[in-house]
Amino acid sequence: MNLASLAARNVLRNKLRTVLTVLGVAVAILAFVLLRTVIWSWTVSAEYAAKDRVATRHKITFISPLPVRYKTQIEQIPGVTHVTWASWFGAKHPTRESDFFQSIAVDPPSFMAVYDEIILPAAQREKWLSNRQGALVGESLAKQFGWKVGDRVTLAGTIYPGDWQFDVDAIYTVKRSSLDKASLMFHWDYLNDSIDARRKDEAGWFISRVKNAGDAANTAKRIDTLFDDQDAQTLSMDEHAMNASFLGMFSAVLTAIDLVSIVILVIMMLILGNTIAMGVRERTNEYGMLRALGFLPKHIASFVLLEAMVVGLCGGGVGLLLAYPVVEQGLGRFLEENMGAMFPYFHVDAPIAGLALVLSVALGLVAAIVPAYQASKLNVVDSLRRVG
Amino acid sequence: MLLMIPLSYNLRSLVARKGTTLASAFGIALVVFVLSSSLMLSGGIKKTMGSSGRSENAIVLRKGADSELSSTFETRLINLILAAPGVKKDETGAPLGGGEAVIVIAVEKAGTPGKIANVQVRGVSDNVLKMRPEVKLIEGRLPQAGTDEVMLGKSVRGRYTGVDLNLSFELKKNRKVQVVGIFDAGGSSFESEIWAGVDTVKSSFGREGLVSSVTVQLESGSKYDAFKATVESDKQLGLQSFRESEYYSKISSGTATFVSAIGIVITVFFSIGAMIGAAITMYAAVAQRRREIGTLQALGFTRRAVLGSMLVESIVLATVGGLVGAVASLFMGFVKISMMNFATWQEVSFSFTPDPAQILISLALGGVMGVLGGFFPALSASRTNPVIAMRA
Repeated sequence: MNLASLAARNVLRNKLRTVLTVLGVAVAILAFVLLRTVIWSWTVSAEYAAKDRVATRHKITFISPLPVRYKTQIEQIPGVTHVTWASWFGAKHPTRESDFFQSIAVDPPSFMAVYDEIILPAAQREKWLSNRQGALVGESLAKQFGWKVGDRVTLAGTIYPGDWQFDVDAIYTVKRSSLDKASLMFHWDYLNDSIDARRKDEAGWFISRVKNAGDAANTAKRIDTLFDDQDAQTLSMDEHAMNASFLGMFSAVLTAIDLVSIVILVIMMLILGNTIAMGVRERTNEYGMLRALGFLPKHIASFVLLEAMVVGLCGGGVGLLLAYPVVEQGLGRFLEENMGAMFPYFHVDAPIAGLALVLSVALGLVAAIVPAYQASKLNVVDSLRRVG
Repeated sequence: MLLMIPLSYNLRSLVARKGTTLASAFGIALVVFVLSSSLMLSGGIKKTMGSSGRSENAIVLRKGADSELSSTFETRLINLILAAPGVKKDETGAPLGGGEAVIVIAVEKAGTPGKIANVQVRGVSDNVLKMRPEVKLIEGRLPQAGTDEVMLGKSVRGRYTGVDLNLSFELKKNRKVQVVGIFDAGGSSFESEIWAGVDTVKSSFGREGLVSSVTVQLESGSKYDAFKATVESDKQLGLQSFRESEYYSKISSGTATFVSAIGIVITVFFSIGAMIGAAITMYAAVAQRRREIGTLQALGFTRRAVLGSMLVESIVLATVGGLVGAVASLFMGFVKISMMNFATWQEVSFSFTPDPAQILISLALGGVMGVLGGFFPALSASRTNPVIAMRA
């Protein structure tokens, strides 16, 4: 019998305590995975951002629109292959007012050229391009509201007052995560023709696609220089920077979740360390015996450390097994369907799972350092004399 | 038959096992700390936004708009609204109210070049201080009417590059505004805003002839229904009226709910973890004391007394942890955080605001964890067979 198998056997000696400890570690790992996934899902848009797209908005306030004619000027910049524009519409579902989703008026042909990650059946695509009142709806948004291709839906405008009718012509999914599946796009012409003169021919923002992703930051600068002497100056950023700046507005929440996910690891270490310390105290007698048999302090120490790592690993494994159903099936499905605008993709990312497993073992090791040191320093005679 | 084991027995045994007691109590303290802090933050959001609105004030928006930001209507409607019944008049007989133009501008966060935040700019009418008496100038002077002078809410100060007293910044290309004063608004979200003259905002953003909202002070809160009925009666105008307090709680509820939901989910997980920690500690405490417990029973203490005593021990452990956590969370009161309010896209700074109910809830959670974590170990202790236990 080698030391490792002795350590493994020791784990099972106080079964109840081991089960409780494994459960404690498992819950902590589950919570850790959940919190990291919230952060990951939230920041995924920035990480998955298309590197070859540049967004251009009004320099001072995103409320103010830009003239649509800027498009032709941006197209002149060398390296820019496509330019499209969009306006924030802010539609609300007539009965489910609190379900926020993104609705934007776009120029369909150029939009499809810039956002080439969109996938939809060719027939639906033709239908949407040709129907002025047509809407292109993301897969998860369609699921959220129970919309099907061919439905006629009425939405309330928050910025452009009144009831607006759309035909759900197409439902899209995406081949890259650089676009969420929870938006509604419709013809900018439909909007432009329906509003009063002073709000006509305005674009909320422009999106340009560049030939080389490396040129994105440079192109952003060139666009801003182009309009510097105009009344409506612009602020351009590559898509990654823009998404990151949006996330920055919630940085306080993200930091808080980040901190809490570390606190949960501390709680996990407390539980593990406590269990190991108790085990060591109870086995003082045995450790004395092992020393008397000729085992060295380092053997005793590695004994304790191994035990802690085994418990940590078991807890981490159970936690991960729980995490998949809880995070993906339960919460993930709920969030993607109901808050798809904020959590477009919610599943356990492999690196997070790996990190959780590594941490559960590593923290088991750290938690056992003090008890292991104490156990190895025991005086053989004293520990043999001690009862119980 | 002895029914009560003295409390001092439990206290001493907790002290005797310092290490494990501290570890478990610390775990519970962390749980209570997290719950208490998230409730304080959610309370802070409600308080900041809630105190922005007064129940005797009414705010009128374009129908269908979900906040001032998405609302615009023509200035000619202002006088119609001011003439509605119930609007209070000042000493000169002029109605207390006016149109406001609200916009958010991008400013660079101080200390982090390139990172921008959205700050709300409110174009206010000249009589705004009469309408919102809680707003007080604390530094500098009031902006002169009809000029491009502005004042800052005190939370805006120092947060953004180039936006501070005696500095000037652009609201529009080549149109600089000069900051001449700093105001306090009794902790409300107005403190996170920049106030300029309504005409300055309208012309800087090409909104001539348009306002975002009209706010009026009513003679009393009870006049609200009549006011609302008049303003909304003409469907052609497309206006919608809210009590100001109701409007602010509506636009803050999303963010407040979000923060408390996160806090509660986290607390649920944490408490399971900490409860298991407490259970492990109590099981060990019981196991080590089998002999003592057997002796206690031999002395005539009933099983129920043993059960009660072990539970009390666990509750004491949890309550001490809970107290430490709750007290520690009060220190969060010194922390201010700023985040975006979902409904208005503006950055507002919030503080952690304690209230007695929330502290009691957090403490109660600590106690409950003690009861739940300690119950099975206590039950196991009460089932000790004294003969076997004393022989061991």
